Amino acid sequence: MPLRPARVGRVGVVRAPVAKAAVVGTAMRPGPAPVAKAAVVGAAVTPGRRRRRI
Amino acid sequence: MTEQDLDGLGPVDFLVIEFPAGHSTFTGEIAEELLNLVEAGTIRLIDAIVLTKDGDGVVDAMELSDAGELGALVELEAQLAELLAAEDVANLANAMDPGSVAGVLVYENVWAAPFASAARRAGGRLIADGRIPIQDIIASLEADEELEETGA
Repeated sequence: MPLRPARVGRVGVVRAPVAKAAVVGTAMRPGPAPVAKAAVVGAAVTPGRRRRRI
Repeated sequence: MTEQDLDGLGPVDFLVIEFPAGHSTFTGEIAEELLNLVEAGTIRLIDAIVLTKDGDGVVDAMELSDAGELGALVELEAQLAELLAAEDVANLANAMDPGSVAGVLVYENVWAAPFASAARRAGGRLIADGRIPIQDIIASLEADEELEETGA
């Protein structure tokens, strides 16, 4: 089924080809401890948990 | 829309959610969560279309109402503003893999509108925004770990 006629001939709002984003589902790469990695990332973005710089 | 209305408008974003061939398991959960976001006043759904890209890379676009049983989305579909134009389809589908189906959502971040208005009233201007991929956070944390281990 095509798009409604009202969409045809109008100026678009997405002005450039969209690039594929990194797929979040694969962010936690299989490894020895993917759960531990998720926990570390979770901790890093938790308010009040400042990253330390050594 | 008056200038005052525009001032209260939240930032408008879009998402392209791809379902690779053979990897979609629609249970209605997506529709329910989307409806929850709208009903909570977190977002306002402006537009939604469905894209398909066949194995040869040929793209087809359809209205949400033509995509089958809408379930919880029936009410939202009736209120869509149809902001996207046909010429947007190719740009949106550029990110899709051949053989996949994608849902495109355009939405106003209603939650951000009061803050954005306050920033404008204070003389502020949004000059950049973006998203930090989880992968980049992991890379940064891993680099920190390596620094700690090597002491470099």
